[in-house]
Amino acid sequence: MNGPSTLDTYGSQTSFSSAGTGADATLVLTTAMSVAAAVIFLLVMGAVWLAWRRDRPGSVWWIWGGGVILPVIALGTLVVASTFTLAAIGRVDDGAPVIEVTGHQYWWDIVHDPEGRALRDANEIVLPLNIPVTLSLKTEDVIHSFWVPSIAGKMDMVPGRINRMTVTATEAGRFRGQCAEFCGLSHPLMAFEVVVLPQAEYDAYLEDLRSEARDADTAQLARGRDVFLNEGCIACHAIRGVAEGARLGPDLSRIGARATLGAGMWRMNVGNLAGWIADVQDMKPGAQMPSYNHLSGPDLRAVAHYLASLK
Amino acid sequence: MQGKPVVPLTLAGVAALVLVAITLVSVWSLAHPQRDPVGNALAAMGARLDGVRSWYAQGPVEASPDWQAMRLNVPGGDAARGRLAMVEYGCGACHVIPGVASARGTVGPSLDGLARRAYIAGVLTNAPGDLTRWLMNPPLFSPETAMPNLGVTEADAADMAAYLYTLGPDA
Ligand SMILES: [Cu+2]
Repeated sequence: MNGPSTLDTYGSQTSFSSAGTGADATLVLTTAMSVAAAVIFLLVMGAVWLAWRRDRPGSVWWIWGGGVILPVIALGTLVVASTFTLAAIGRVDDGAPVIEVTGHQYWWDIVHDPEGRALRDANEIVLPLNIPVTLSLKTEDVIHSFWVPSIAGKMDMVPGRINRMTVTATEAGRFRGQCAEFCGLSHPLMAFEVVVLPQAEYDAYLEDLRSEARDADTAQLARGRDVFLNEGCIACHAIRGVAEGARLGPDLSRIGARATLGAGMWRMNVGNLAGWIADVQDMKPGAQMPSYNHLSGPDLRAVAHYLASLK
Repeated sequence: MQGKPVVPLTLAGVAALVLVAITLVSVWSLAHPQRDPVGNALAAMGARLDGVRSWYAQGPVEASPDWQAMRLNVPGGDAARGRLAMVEYGCGACHVIPGVASARGTVGPSLDGLARRAYIAGVLTNAPGDLTRWLMNPPLFSPETAMPNLGVTEADAADMAAYLYTLGPDA
């Protein structure tokens, strides 16, 4: 890390600049509705001014025109426009590759190619540039809502259902998403990042997800790996090639490569990792992970350095 | 044996000599006002006394340097940059740091009022150079500490130390 200048590597979270087809459709509808609302507001103010200037009652057709006909036209247009927009957002392309995203309190489990190789990651969704991808949205506990304003529309994750939407990211870069449905104490701390990569880099990323996690190649990193293995971390977390199978918590095989810690909330670095492990419940109240404040100082440092080295 | 007394030094004699000397010096001084050894000596002494008197008049607080500020001055440290660096390194995950975004951790001690502390982590004196070196590699000074080596550069450490020394020096 290079100091404060890295701040701009955070993903932006805005629906006013679109980097995906779904966000495009939403942005057009938002703009059209705002313009229409402004025009109608000005018309109504003009009518009020006219009524105030005239000392005799106007024609009854003003009421029919302004109170019935105009609203029917305006609302009818909006219904048609938003129906088409919803159709565009919710369109599912059956031939597109599938990425499965599962909401948990309070993090996101991500499986690339769930029908095939089932490559697992967490809290950072990597998408290929300009290629339609179908997101298969599920939840493991309560209702969450998946929303990356710059890429696509919002879609709920409902227990017992799989909601699907096909998105196409049209701009490479880093974008921030957020759980958009209240889901518990730390709902405001449940974000994630979307990284859009050109095809070649995307393929390299998937290849990376197939291989084992980076080796612990110093004494301190090896100590950290042993702490990870012996202190119960493996009951919930998996690291490929070290301890596999556990799925209650985020996969940590490449945690050090992610930009953020705690589901899009803190900068990924040794300091935040150590603080997180020692006092999760303070950083993210209500999370399933217990605070590991029984580790000795050197053990805590070792495991934090080990996790940061997994890239 | 009794000799003839040389001029007897009586009290009256001494007084007469002093009077004669004063008279001669006075006449000489009046004759050469620019070359007044006594007056010059008195004037020089007065000027020195004036200096001392005005030093006392100014009072010891205003006139003496701000030792506290000098003691906490971190050479090359920029407190504003340090405040941002603390967010980037994740200091707030473990420490309460007034003025740093979301720094409300309870893993380690609060850094409020750090400028008034005597020691850093109980192992180093609370001086700018020591604080900078501590931030760069805590386990080097305290092998059992839970605070990791965050890979802080020397420039960033100086910036952070400068910010930390703005916390509570005058409270
Ligand atoms: Cu949620």
